[in-house]
Amino acid sequence: MALLAKIGFGLLGTAVAGAGILLSQGFVHVQVVQKQENGTHLHLVLPALAVPIALQLVPRHDLAQAAAQVRPWLPAIDKAASVLGNSPDGPLVTVTEPGERVSVAKSGGSLFVDVNDPREHVYVSVPLATLQSAANVLASRAEPD
Amino acid sequence: MKKTVAILAMVFMAAAVAFAAPAERYLHVRVDSGAKDQKVRINIPLSLAAQVIPAIDSGQLKNGKIQLGNFQANGVNVRKILTALKNAPDGEFVSVQEPGQDVRVAKKNGILIVRVRQTKGERQNVDITVPWSVAEALTTNTTENQLNVEAAIQALEQAGNMTLVTVTGEHQNVRIWIDSSSTAQ
Repeated sequence: MALLAKIGFGLLGTAVAGAGILLSQGFVHVQVVQKQENGTHLHLVLPALAVPIALQLVPRHDLAQAAAQVRPWLPAIDKAASVLGNSPDGPLVTVTEPGERVSVAKSGGSLFVDVNDPREHVYVSVPLATLQSAANVLASRAEPD
Repeated sequence: MKKTVAILAMVFMAAAVAFAAPAERYLHVRVDSGAKDQKVRINIPLSLAAQVIPAIDSGQLKNGKIQLGNFQANGVNVRKILTALKNAPDGEFVSVQEPGQDVRVAKKNGILIVRVRQTKGERQNVDITVPWSVAEALTTNTTENQLNVEAAIQALEQAGNMTLVTVTGEHQNVRIWIDSSSTAQ
């Protein structure tokens, strides 16, 4: 009985520690709402730590184009994420015109992008640390085997 | 005892001022287009620009310098004007008046001032006020047809709060300025 209890506590501890690690970097939140009839309504909340891991698992040829595009910008993304992490929260870019609004803001260690136009509403929030690691993974996947 | 406390207080205050983190400074861009009811607000921390610009290696921007194929504005070679102004005393240096357009470029009290008044076609007033150190930085360590954006941003970080550019037109107003506020007021 005591042995079973020890095993149980061990498993529980491992699960709690695992969950803690998985959630330690916050969440990536993606929401896409197409406003036309029968349009897509996508709502995703992922542990931020899972994003670079998932990118590692995507077949290289499926990522090739995105990876090639992001490579020249990697040093800039790296620097931007690191400097923004230490910057005060606030709006970075806001563009408004009749029926359309785009905003990019930094708040609490995350970057928020919100695009709302007559056709769709896209909202993405991503921790800056995840942005850095995801860009790094993409760049490494751009390199030939 | 009172004297010791006062001295200690002064020392602590001086230390607090010396070691306090400098406030983040921002480059703001505000564009208001009346006819289309468009509004653009950009607030970029200068430290972000200073770090990111040298890291960009794409298109015309490399190593913090922007390469301009034809470094001219309305037939005026901007780089040559900046170079000529470097050693010139304060005063009005360039004044181009032609029908519908009046351009004045001057260096006064360490500030480069450019004033454009366009009365022909779409009326537009452009006022550029840039610390001379920033204007100078734009041409440091550059070859022909290059502007050193990284050096200019670094020089801007040392400048006080000020409006750099205002464009007042019939259909659009633009303001670019630097201050310590994270939002475009």
